[in-house]
Amino acid sequence: VKTVREAVREKPWLGWVLFAGTVLIVFLAGLFGSSILERRSEQATAFQLVRPIPDWEPRNEVWGQNFPREYESYRATRDTLFASKYGGSVMRDILAEDPRTVILWAGYAFSRDYNQARGHAWAIEDVRRTLRTDVPQPATCWTCKSTDVPRMMAAMGPAEFYKATWASMGPEIVNHIGCQDCHDPKSMNLRITRPALAEAWERQGRKIEEATHQEMRSLVCAQCHVEYYFKGKEEKYLTFPWDQGFSSDAMEQYYDAAGHVDFVHALSKAPILKAQHPDYELYRTGIHAQRGVSCADCHMPYRSEGGVKFTNHWMRSPLASISTSCQVCHRESEDELRRNVEDRQDKVKELLLLAEDALVRAHLEAQYAWSKGATEQEMKEVLQFIRHAQWRWDWVAAANGVGFHSPAEALRTLGTSIQKSQEAHAELVRVLARRGILEPFALPDVSTKEKAQTYIGLDMARLHEAKGRFLQEVVPTWDAGAREREAGYAR
Amino acid sequence: MRRIIDLLLPPLRWRVPVVIAAGVLAGLLLLIARLSNAVSYLSNDPRTCVNCHVMAPQYATWQTSSHRRTATCNDCHVPQDNVFRTYLFKASDGMRHAYVFTFRLEPQVIQIKDAGKAAVQENCIRCHTAQVGSTTIGAVTVDAARHGRGHLCWDCHRATPHGTVNSLASAPYARVPRLTPVLPDWMRMRRE
Repeated sequence: VKTVREAVREKPWLGWVLFAGTVLIVFLAGLFGSSILERRSEQATAFQLVRPIPDWEPRNEVWGQNFPREYESYRATRDTLFASKYGGSVMRDILAEDPRTVILWAGYAFSRDYNQARGHAWAIEDVRRTLRTDVPQPATCWTCKSTDVPRMMAAMGPAEFYKATWASMGPEIVNHIGCQDCHDPKSMNLRITRPALAEAWERQGRKIEEATHQEMRSLVCAQCHVEYYFKGKEEKYLTFPWDQGFSSDAMEQYYDAAGHVDFVHALSKAPILKAQHPDYELYRTGIHAQRGVSCADCHMPYRSEGGVKFTNHWMRSPLASISTSCQVCHRESEDELRRNVEDRQDKVKELLLLAEDALVRAHLEAQYAWSKGATEQEMKEVLQFIRHAQWRWDWVAAANGVGFHSPAEALRTLGTSIQKSQEAHAELVRVLARRGILEPFALPDVSTKEKAQTYIGLDMARLHEAKGRFLQEVVPTWDAGAREREAGYAR
Repeated sequence: MRRIIDLLLPPLRWRVPVVIAAGVLAGLLLLIARLSNAVSYLSNDPRTCVNCHVMAPQYATWQTSSHRRTATCNDCHVPQDNVFRTYLFKASDGMRHAYVFTFRLEPQVIQIKDAGKAAVQENCIRCHTAQVGSTTIGAVTVDAARHGRGHLCWDCHRATPHGTVNSLASAPYARVPRLTPVLPDWMRMRRE
């Protein structure tokens, strides 16, 4: 066989053929490479906005022009017709359904008015309407209500935002919870817009930017559906009490160490902690979280419309969408699955009410003991028991889903609440016995919302009248101011 | 080996240009390997399947299905009974996909081919043996279906796991993993 050297020496043109062959191979390989590049870049252009969204655009309808299906399904959160056994999207007057809560929150604005929240689309309207916002509140209260909040925080900085008053932000905060709260306007990736969550992670030595997509499908919810408090008398800095852990016990330790008190109870004088809705924390202890199921998997299941599949943005009770929420994994019938949920909720509710009865008695007995001349020294331990009992009851009661996010943890927490109320009761019996009072304390009649509110000294007629005036006189000026400001936005 | 190299060696005065040309070709092939994430195809990671964006709807639907917890793309779509068959299947399927994608021959609605059906059906049974024991006897196998005597699992379980509607446009804004940039981090401009 001839070597290439010999072949080329004999026929020099063969060298040129070899050269041309190499040119052709490199050329084709280059073509192939650029074809791969072109197809790679299609991935980027496959996602195009009909209308680009500027940073901090608060208006959901502007985002919605790009994503009609997601937006239309999100608008459905205005629905107020679905009622499950304990929840749903209907507005429920909790104080009327369960007047014990009026007594438990005596001295706090929650005793005036507390409704089960309606869908996200009602956030602004319901916060304006509730009697709780007649008390001077900080702007921190707006944090979870609106897509205008990230906009204002970007402009003012979070610390300054929290320091402002609730009323001063009225004309700025008008768009209800929506797209920008969870999405990046350029890539539509999930993102965290509320600093409190990122800060809590940082204190735990973790970076929120490192969360996986599946974690983010819960974390965007955990920006708001968590326990939080306003740190500092002036700063009112929104803070998650997670430094010692996520359980009610760990948060209780945190609050005790920080000396935080939400309000002093009007009847018992106990330094009370008001729980917000620790949905995320409770869910973390449940079996669904442990199996890697995110909030969105149940509350925003995939759905098909015509030839398109998308994430349903109508976040709501999965009991309204059992087939797409539960039956993706569970093969039982809808009725069976609903029964499974309600069975667990029934049990939680049973202990929840026992915990309330024990707490109501403890508060009223403590009030009675004060009236019989109990000393601060005698009452100190009692009040601490009441503080912890109410915190643990509220930790479950305030969370959505009547404990279904983690029935075992909910029942454990309620069990400790009842135990602590009983400790308070036992101590109070001794305090009264020292004053020669051995008869059991007769509870006053606080069996309806009205009776209970009268008992704790609320003038509801006056409160309703003031709220009516506010809604008629102040709110329209807020809306007018907002309309004028938004008219200047890029069209 | 030595002989073969000797046969191919160019005349002495050509050595330098030939070495350069060979280097250019090798470099180009390396670049193509990087552009195409070639190494990822040896893995079992579902992200590999969305290297080509046409698979985004399949990825998105799998990601929201109950199968995401236990089954990767390969677990269902590639034979898993022995390692040679696994890689032979991957190679032949992969070459076809590369060809189709490069020449833009992908249909609007991607449908599974016979070889793929056989693999999936085998894999359904592989994991769900406990549930299908009596059913396979009742002829839910590839062979039976091919001879018109039976059915495939998804003749009934039509929505498992990708849903019943499928096309390139069926999950337009699905959040699927994106390709990592070709340029390494230190070469990219920072916008700050």
